Amino acid sequence: MLRKEQNELLTQTGPNTPGGRLFRSYWVPALLADELPDNEGPPVRVKLLSERLLAFRDTQGRYALIDEFCAHRGVSLWFGRNEESGLRCPYHGWKYDHTGQCVEVPSEPAESGFCAKIKLKSYPLVERGGVLWTYMGPPDRRPALPEWEFAVVPAGQSFTSKRLQECNWLQAMEGGIDSSHVSFLHRGELNSDPLFKGAKGNQYNLGDTRPVFEVVESPGGLYVGARRNAENGHYYWRITQWVMPSFTMIPPRGDHPVHGHFWIPVDDENCWAWSFDYHPTRPLTQGEVQAMRDGKGIHVKYQPGTFRPLANKDNDYLIDRAAQKAGRTFSGVAGIAMQDASLQESMGPIVDRAKENLVSTDNGIIMARHRLMHAVKGLMERDVVPPGVDISHQRVRSASLILPPDHTFKDAGKDALSVRPGVAHASV
Amino acid sequence: MASESARASSAAESRFRIDAPNARPRAIKVVALDRPSQAVVERLGQGRWNGASFLTASAFSAESQASGRFSMQAWLSDLSGGTKHLLEEIRGSDLVVMIASAGEDVPVAALIGETCSIECVTTSALVIGGPAAIDQALARTLAQLRPWALMLVVASAEEYVADMLGALRA
Repeated sequence: MLRKEQNELLTQTGPNTPGGRLFRSYWVPALLADELPDNEGPPVRVKLLSERLLAFRDTQGRYALIDEFCAHRGVSLWFGRNEESGLRCPYHGWKYDHTGQCVEVPSEPAESGFCAKIKLKSYPLVERGGVLWTYMGPPDRRPALPEWEFAVVPAGQSFTSKRLQECNWLQAMEGGIDSSHVSFLHRGELNSDPLFKGAKGNQYNLGDTRPVFEVVESPGGLYVGARRNAENGHYYWRITQWVMPSFTMIPPRGDHPVHGHFWIPVDDENCWAWSFDYHPTRPLTQGEVQAMRDGKGIHVKYQPGTFRPLANKDNDYLIDRAAQKAGRTFSGVAGIAMQDASLQESMGPIVDRAKENLVSTDNGIIMARHRLMHAVKGLMERDVVPPGVDISHQRVRSASLILPPDHTFKDAGKDALSVRPGVAHASV
Repeated sequence: MASESARASSAAESRFRIDAPNARPRAIKVVALDRPSQAVVERLGQGRWNGASFLTASAFSAESQASGRFSMQAWLSDLSGGTKHLLEEIRGSDLVVMIASAGEDVPVAALIGETCSIECVTTSALVIGGPAAIDQALARTLAQLRPWALMLVVASAEEYVADMLGALRA
């Protein structure tokens, strides 16, 4: 459980909130690069950390992320004209460049210099790995660009999607480190999903439904290890990575691509679930990419023209009670992503953690909250840079391993838990 | 018309969630397995808890280590120094949390763990000071705890213990 004030500390990420300041310490994914495919293309509305923004790509191909609303009369610049190195408000023709600087106020004499006094708030927007990243914190504390492996491998080795999840980021993220739910909620998918099936590790997953857990602090967050029995007294370990504040990486299966998420607040009642799949040493196959586009694995099918999942709360997630009864799905909802999202959204926009009853196997969640609160406190009281900002904390991998019983996964799997360029991920 | 799921999960509907206790207090035994952990448990014992009681097995641990004998009739100590019967303490509990310090020898974990196993009581183990400890020393402590803990946590600092117990409504 969390007290009300603790829950608010972690779930509120708007400007001038402690949790918001924490998120504003990091580069966070803002858009897919595909959303701004062309110079002078249409601008895109973006809401992040409870701020309404507008992204566009100017005549020179420079990315921009600025306040959505014109400084003159508060009109949305989404209606603007993207022309000649800037975005022009259609109401009275005020024009802004990629930094948010007003460069033209047609009604005022150019020589008055009035436009120089007008500047919209803006944030850097940088492409890396097919994702446009932004940093919304103080410019003098801007960290180095993100180094997550999925974003730095060659383009053909990585696939990223995003979907809207209609609940607070924390309850979504906590699902990413809650290893004990997999044997129930997702058990139907292990043998059927093309991005999961066929791995030897699946047999251990399904054969031992009472995993034992170990949670170990890592420099950037946590290792959450789930241990199941394997042959000859050995253990099958699945080690999830959590890096602060909201990066989670699922242990791989066989030679399938490895995958994970970022959970990024849109506002306090919605978040973006960013989902990536990549292979460290080979291009993704056509079949794998097609499966991801078809919403398999951790991806979803969309409502056309949106990033809202096709199965969503308005259609009861297309629940299929017959499939549930027959055991094809455990909850009746199809697909791993929506199995998680449907349950997390059902908690309500911001779950009241004062009412929950955690058990000892929830220590991954408890430790993550503990570290988040500790980081917020350090940042607010002593200006301490939180874990996860340092790029060395980002060079991590999840892993699945078979180890002798007396081996500690953190030490035996030390290499496997770090990025090793040119070396495949450790997977069973 | 909004679907059942859309309506039920709205913020407005949250007002109608039943506001009544949904769990009875849990009896949680927090047991220090070694001398450094005993100090941690003594500090924790100063706090206010719902259903946690704090014990130490460190004296027993040292003694049994010297004699090389284990007994199911072992005694624990409470914070005032009084002896407690291991079996009776465990029999009445919902969860046993064993606290160890990284690098310490904790053979008593086997005895407590086995007793919990017989009594069907869930066990957790928490190792403090893990990230700073030498790998081999930490591995030795973990190896003694691993067979007996459903959940094993390696934490850098003592303050996590209080947070964890609070989260478990101890």
